Amino acid sequence: MVASELTQYVVTGLLVGGVYALMSIGLALIFGVMRVVNFAQGDFMMLGMYLTYYYAVVLGIDPLLGALVTIPPFFVLGLLLHRVFLARVTGGGDPNREMDAQLILTLGMSLIITNATTMILSPMPRAIRTTYATQAFAVGPLLLNQARTYAFFMALLLAAAVYVFLTRTDLGKALRAAADDPEAASYQAINVRAMHGVAFGVGIALVAAAGGLLATYYPIEPNVAVNFIVLMFVAVVLGGLGSIPGAFVGGLAIGLVQSLTLLILPLQLQNVGVFVAFLLVLYVRPQGLFGRRARTV
Amino acid sequence: MSLLARSIALALASLLALPLAGPPPVIAADDFKIALVVPLSGRWARQGQLKKMGAEMAIEEINSQGGIKALGGAKIVLREADAGDSVEKAVSAAQRILTREKISAGIGSWLSSFTLGVTEVAERLQVPWLSLSYADSITERGFKYTFQTSPVSSAQAEQALELVVELAKRNNQPIRKAAVVGDNTAATVFFFKPLREKLLQAKGIELVVDEVWTPPLADATSIVQKLRSTQPDLVFYGATNFPDSIQVLQKVKEFGVKTHIQGVGAWLVTPEYVKTVGKELLDNIQTVVAAHPLKGQEELVKKFVQRTGEPFMTQDPLVTYAHVWLIKEAAEQAKSADPKAIRDALAKIDLSTGPAASTLYPGRIRFDERGRRIGAVPLIVQWQNGEPFTVVPANLATRPVVWHK
Repeated sequence: MVASELTQYVVTGLLVGGVYALMSIGLALIFGVMRVVNFAQGDFMMLGMYLTYYYAVVLGIDPLLGALVTIPPFFVLGLLLHRVFLARVTGGGDPNREMDAQLILTLGMSLIITNATTMILSPMPRAIRTTYATQAFAVGPLLLNQARTYAFFMALLLAAAVYVFLTRTDLGKALRAAADDPEAASYQAINVRAMHGVAFGVGIALVAAAGGLLATYYPIEPNVAVNFIVLMFVAVVLGGLGSIPGAFVGGLAIGLVQSLTLLILPLQLQNVGVFVAFLLVLYVRPQGLFGRRARTV
Repeated sequence: MSLLARSIALALASLLALPLAGPPPVIAADDFKIALVVPLSGRWARQGQLKKMGAEMAIEEINSQGGIKALGGAKIVLREADAGDSVEKAVSAAQRILTREKISAGIGSWLSSFTLGVTEVAERLQVPWLSLSYADSITERGFKYTFQTSPVSSAQAEQALELVVELAKRNNQPIRKAAVVGDNTAATVFFFKPLREKLLQAKGIELVVDEVWTPPLADATSIVQKLRSTQPDLVFYGATNFPDSIQVLQKVKEFGVKTHIQGVGAWLVTPEYVKTVGKELLDNIQTVVAAHPLKGQEELVKKFVQRTGEPFMTQDPLVTYAHVWLIKEAAEQAKSADPKAIRDALAKIDLSTGPAASTLYPGRIRFDERGRRIGAVPLIVQWQNGEPFTVVPANLATRPVVWHK
């Protein structure tokens, strides 16, 4: 194997992993702040893909910009869904019963969103045809798919923005406080329930934006979430449950492992590499890569 | 939230979460019921939707022409069930629909893996089952109630290779190196197996790339990189999952790989391909299928297009259309709606006229003791200017074949 070929595998893995990373951050944020395992996260990604598609087809907005424009409506949707549904099963009461209710609620939301989208928009796949989906940047002997490269850098930018939001703004600090210790946070006049709403809004807005970026090179169909949801969960657990940097690194690692696995295993066993790496990490560090911060964001 | 609002929300949620098949409508007792078990949700839902369109068109034609005459003009009624996206769901859907009420015959379930499961249920419940699925094993289990109208995968592989090698020779571009690229769903597996084991070698063709994956495919870079470095003259291509297929085709364009692509199945000629990758990329890509509109079926295609809004007709609606007509013929001959009588009529049928026979090339329907259609031959369909046309056999082709330059 020549060095350039190996480098191509590494670069391809990182480009694939960039979007996984952005998808996973939202899931980690929701879990970190609310302790809710959101099974519908992949479905919000799918809705983000459709919204980006309609922005492109109806309004002529380039999907890279369209992905960003999905953030405000999904943030508002997240706030609403939290207020109407999730607030009833979080923040107080018997934790075990709440956990059961949360699982049923998010799983139910996932089923409803997938089936409703199939009924309303039909199962026919759609796609945004962009020139950059089938073009590559040539860097020496390496070929970097343009759509994936743009998506990677946009994902990086959005992840950095989330990091700045959480560490440099009062709202972000309040979110982290609510995640660390909801009771102590409420003594500091932080409205924990409102913080949960913000976390859910930001969480699904991020995954919708990731969906928008994905839509620049991946077909859109109501069932698309199943192709990614397991990987999102693996990334979040790999990075350390609830840790934002952990989820980001976890997402990148999955892309990288998927790609590098092909050097030693046949394509058919591509995801075996991911799960072997996952088990190894959990064996060595049961708390995940960034496990110390498992209860913080 | 008030109690009323909560009740409405709950009712709406239950409604949307239900499988796509609803409760059976009220029908007359003497109606003739056909089950259609196909994916209506999940990653193969589009194919199920297309099959349903074909079945509905045939039923409308038959009913408007007086129904099944031997049964006093009984009307045909379709009972559809969602096979979903797994064998377990498909089996459960078949079990549900075949035990809920008396079904005279069934059709389905598109993906060979699903058909293998669903036909076990049909066999146990003694309901004749018609399938377009390709996998050889569907009719290798000694079942009495399974009827496979398509040429089986291994025969398709042999016949397709013959046809393509001949075409290449005629165009002075003999095939020396080939690749097999596709997923590990049953029909693709059965198509690739004989190619790997004997057929390519027998033709003196070297297999330079052999890449198989479990859907979904994360990224196609490694596959297309291998195609670029080995430069095969021909790629046998079997990516049944649409996003996987799109990723491979986009990558082929991105890496500038120039090779002849020979698909394995009708999934490669659905209208959404044009919208997704554009007609230029598709031009000259061809695929081997069990059925596709032939010369002389222009009126049928026109009717389908008008009725459904689809830009053209492909194997999935076409074969289901033929299956409904075939069941109707069997019912006429059996003079009964009893599934066992229909099964016996299908086993003895020899049909060379009517919509079913003219749709299933080469125009005659007979089954051997395994339930395989005798003389079933695949067709080759090729994308030309954004539309797929039958190019082989030449006598019934709707366009002459164009060899990849």
